[in-house]
Amino acid sequence: MIKKSIQKIYLALIFILLYAPIVTLMVLSFNESRTRAKWGGFTLKWYQELFKNEQIMSAFYTTLLIAFLAAAAATVIGTAASIAIQGMKQRWRTMYMGLTNIPMMNAEIVMGVSLMLLFIALRMTLGFGTILIAHITFNIPYVILSVSPKLRQTSRHTYEAALDLGASPLKAFFKVVFPDIVPGVLSGFMLAFTMSLDDFVITHFTKGPGIDTLSTKIYTEVRKGIKPEIYALSTILFVSVLVLLILVNYSPDGKEEEGEKKKVRKPSRAKVIFLRRIVPAAICILFVFGGIYYAGENQVMNSEKVVVYNWGEYIDPEVLTMFEEETGIDVVYEEFETNEILYPKISSGAIAYDAICPSDYMIQRMMENDLLAEIDFDNIPNIKYIGSQYMEQSRQFDPENKYSVPYCWGTVGILYNKTMVDEPVDSWGILWDEKYRDNILMQDSVRDAFGVALRYLGYSLNSTDLDELTEARDLLIEQKPLVQAYVIDQVRDKMIGNEAAIGVIYSGEAIYTQKENPDLEYVVPKEGSNIWIDSWVIPKNAENKENAEKFINFLCRPDIALMNFEYITYSTPNTKAREMIEDEAIRNSTIAFPDLEKLPELETFQYLGQKADETYGELWNQVKSS
Amino acid sequence: MSSKLIDFVHVSKAYGMQTVLDDLNLYIRENEFLTLLGPSGCGKTTTLRILGGFETPDTGKVIFDGKDITNLPPNKRQLNTVFQKYALFTHMTIAENIAFGLKIKNKSRQYIHDKIKYALKLVNLDGYENRMPDSLSGGQQQRIAIARAIVNEPKVLLLDEPLGALDLKLRQDMQYELIRLKNELGITFIYVTHDQEEALTMSDTIVVMNQGYIQQIGTPEKIYNEPENAFVADFIGESNIISATMVKDRLVKILGVPFPCVDEGFGQNTPVDVVIRPEDIDLLKPGEGSIDGVVTHLIFKGVHYEMEVMANNYEWLVHSTDMFPVGTEVSIHVDPYDIQIMKKPESEDEEAVNIEE
Amino acid sequence: MKSKRLLAGPYLFWSVSFVVIPLLVIVYYAFTNDEGGFTFSNLAQITTAENLKALGLSILLSLVSTVVCLLLAYPLAMILSQKNVSQTSFIVLIFILPMWMNFLLRTMAWQTLLEKNGVINSILEFLHLPALEIINTPAAIILGMVYNFLPFMVLPIYNVLVKIDPNVLNAARDLGANSVQTFLKVTLPLSIPGVISGITMVFVPALTTFVISDLLGGGKILLIGNVIEQSFKQNSNWHVGSGLSLVLMVFIIASMAMVAKYDKEDGGAAF
Repeated sequence: MIKKSIQKIYLALIFILLYAPIVTLMVLSFNESRTRAKWGGFTLKWYQELFKNEQIMSAFYTTLLIAFLAAAAATVIGTAASIAIQGMKQRWRTMYMGLTNIPMMNAEIVMGVSLMLLFIALRMTLGFGTILIAHITFNIPYVILSVSPKLRQTSRHTYEAALDLGASPLKAFFKVVFPDIVPGVLSGFMLAFTMSLDDFVITHFTKGPGIDTLSTKIYTEVRKGIKPEIYALSTILFVSVLVLLILVNYSPDGKEEEGEKKKVRKPSRAKVIFLRRIVPAAICILFVFGGIYYAGENQVMNSEKVVVYNWGEYIDPEVLTMFEEETGIDVVYEEFETNEILYPKISSGAIAYDAICPSDYMIQRMMENDLLAEIDFDNIPNIKYIGSQYMEQSRQFDPENKYSVPYCWGTVGILYNKTMVDEPVDSWGILWDEKYRDNILMQDSVRDAFGVALRYLGYSLNSTDLDELTEARDLLIEQKPLVQAYVIDQVRDKMIGNEAAIGVIYSGEAIYTQKENPDLEYVVPKEGSNIWIDSWVIPKNAENKENAEKFINFLCRPDIALMNFEYITYSTPNTKAREMIEDEAIRNSTIAFPDLEKLPELETFQYLGQKADETYGELWNQVKSS
Repeated sequence: MSSKLIDFVHVSKAYGMQTVLDDLNLYIRENEFLTLLGPSGCGKTTTLRILGGFETPDTGKVIFDGKDITNLPPNKRQLNTVFQKYALFTHMTIAENIAFGLKIKNKSRQYIHDKIKYALKLVNLDGYENRMPDSLSGGQQQRIAIARAIVNEPKVLLLDEPLGALDLKLRQDMQYELIRLKNELGITFIYVTHDQEEALTMSDTIVVMNQGYIQQIGTPEKIYNEPENAFVADFIGESNIISATMVKDRLVKILGVPFPCVDEGFGQNTPVDVVIRPEDIDLLKPGEGSIDGVVTHLIFKGVHYEMEVMANNYEWLVHSTDMFPVGTEVSIHVDPYDIQIMKKPESEDEEAVNIEE
Repeated sequence: MKSKRLLAGPYLFWSVSFVVIPLLVIVYYAFTNDEGGFTFSNLAQITTAENLKALGLSILLSLVSTVVCLLLAYPLAMILSQKNVSQTSFIVLIFILPMWMNFLLRTMAWQTLLEKNGVINSILEFLHLPALEIINTPAAIILGMVYNFLPFMVLPIYNVLVKIDPNVLNAARDLGANSVQTFLKVTLPLSIPGVISGITMVFVPALTTFVISDLLGGGKILLIGNVIEQSFKQNSNWHVGSGLSLVLMVFIIASMAMVAKYDKEDGGAAF
């Protein structure tokens, strides 16, 4: 009996381990607050928002469609192959099974990378098709491994008996062999479907712009703080599958073929069919057709489109809808996390973006590498709303104001929690204060991290002097044990949730975080810091340049700029929009719109050339792996 | 024979609502070949598993050699089992399989080596030491399973339907093999089977079981010739079981026709069952026997003909070396000592037994 | 029967096109530089201090999590295999079910649980117990690996355990082995194939993950997967990325071969 209870406790512990995160996610789906760090009360609003959120729903639909198509194709190819393999001689069979094992044994990342390289070598556009091919590829082995054991169990005599009784080989197969292996085929399909649904790594490498599965969508959002709608969607999905499985498994027997002869009182056949077939089928149909209906409603395909590549959470989604409605141009929208991720995509030319929004130094780098097209400012009359001081600032990287239109700007500084930090904060030095060990959040990007160290040392944050950089590197390595985490946009959530005392953050985020947690204060340290401008540019290989200009012009319209400001809270260079801000405190906020004269010395990042870039990258790697 | 070696005392066992053994009392003598015989689900395997220590009875106890072993784990019992489907260790060689029990007991290498040699010789598989179980035929695996058990020199060998998976010819060979082994080893064999022929061939004592009850215990001859109830009669061999009335001592009325018999003490005009073995029926010319009838079926069975005779609305099963073609009019004769009289079942349980095949 | 052979055609075509050829492309990239010239320098990248460290750490963390998975999964699989059929199919489902909640989200949720002011620490604080400070440490990554890959260890072991004839275990008991001896001499050796495939299915993804270290390591811990991912997605240095991938692949094949060989030797030397 003691043994029994130990077993029970053990099972319960494992159960908790497996389900604690899932319960957490479910709870978060009812959290009023947008950030997961804070419980803001119970709400159902994310469930309503979910169905209005086009991006999430379309990612969800794509996920289902890919999973379904990939599983179906893999089931057909895999089942056929299993049948053929079954009839082969030992040597051939071994070879085929070896082939099957490659994707099973190979690392996902290697498989993803290899497929990506192949697709690019074949000049295939990365997108729905490539994801589908990749998914079919890793799904087939699951089908083969499910079907083969069943085939081995079926006797070839039944097949021969069917032939003997006059059936054609095809008919004999479908009438006699197939029904025997159906459970294997079905479980292969389900396994493939599940794997496809849950895949991230391979999709990550084989996807292109404008297409997201739930996994990749979540991955881009992880850094920013996940939208609660995703929790809601996952909860719905999980609960539906749970209900489905309970129906299929708990409604008594029928075809649980492997089980020993069980004497279960059978309920009426009608009830079994209802519970085991009709209800699950209905739920599946609801999902699939719901998705198709939804996609149909939202993707009225216009012939005109513009492919936009922007920072995560860097636009009010409503703005995109308005643009589409007003101009009839479809926006294919994709997000990136750092300038460094953006650059190779543009330089490789693998994907033709129409409008992108890099930062100052990256724009300079792209210009120098001749990757940008001149903007036709006749098509952007709204440029007049952009404050002249910002156009002037832009000349640092775009000397003739020919390539870029300012979108947002700000400074880099320290966000700190007044209740957790005793002394006044005015220097980068606090980031090296042993007192705040494990309470410091650093930026996880090369230039920002080095910028902090270089300014603290009194050097320019555009330094290319190897000694200065080495000194900065050592300083960063020294700091590493004190750092709680290297993050990008998560600084926001973590600071709101009182997870850390001090974080390096962009000024734009500071406004939002202060709203959520009044204990937070933002300061630009006295050693000086970075001032940055993110501007819209058009890559040279853009296919819809005019649409891109229309899009940029639209963003410069004061009402639109205001909507964006209110959504993303980053300082806008649009003076007209600033005047329209209703909340006086914000309109005059020194964080949002600091008087540049009164701030310590601010520098813009400059592109330092490929050699220096590599040096930075190398030194950063040394910091990260120290 | 010698004294009681094993004694089951009021043993009962149920799985959930289903009673498998109901107040079983049974003793087994030393050096006996005892067979537990019955249809599947009759409780014979459970009895064996309780003896082996793989099940614990709900009530009652098991005495072995004077000691209560009811709660002793299997590894502490002085008996070994040959399992259904052999249960060989597929990851070990034949030698390793046989050596398993001896190594657990820390016997010397030489001893183990000799024992393996001896055991393999005993089961006629010399030279198989380094083979893997999977490479052996069913009959060979069976013999290895026996060898693995007997090297431990158990006082009792339990055999759980050991021949069930073998084909007919092999099964017959193995029956002789087992009898030979039993005689060479001089230990007690307890054998479980549902095959009545096996039981009759090998056993000293047969225990017929059904639905958790012992139906009859006796020598093969006694079980065959004098079944105590309809279940036993029907389960052992083929029979004609007919409702009849015991008119008085030594006279029974079968299908309305009086037959002289040798049984006494059933009272007067008592309803009874009679068992008549098909080979005990003589077919005579019409009018010469007790009941006249017509041959309706005829099958040649090798040593004899099997016939069905319709007489007084009953299909009599008859085995005879004489052949009577279908349609022949015959007369049935049974010698008095070939008529076995049985009491009608009293309880409903026993009634159920009758209906069960 | 000839026509039956043809059914393997699509699969053969697919496998060669999308499994074999892509691997050859990796090999090509691994041995060439930007100008298309032959070089070993990409492979040599593995010997830089940072990359060696990342590889070493990956191996260490994946070994630890494989061992933890094995230790957790074996008793679990044994308990499950002793249950009757209808109950187990449900319990087994319980292990598959979490996969329907996105893998990234599940891992993310551990952040919420493990954070300094996270759910677990709030509970610990309430109970006046010391706080658990493992977020952004290797321990958190191991937890993430164990959590994500545990089912892949449980299921294969469970599958071999349920196939063991209970009478084989009874036979061992019958021959005098106590329950510990029975486990060591019979159950364990018979379950080795399941253990091996479990180890493979946990070790390989754990060795190559970049997502788990990303999400639970706070960007402070660089695994070999992260290095490869970055060289493709951030630094856009496909040649180096391919070189490292190739090294990783060879390493995996070698370790699998080792495991398989050990398995065989062990099987032969059990006497």
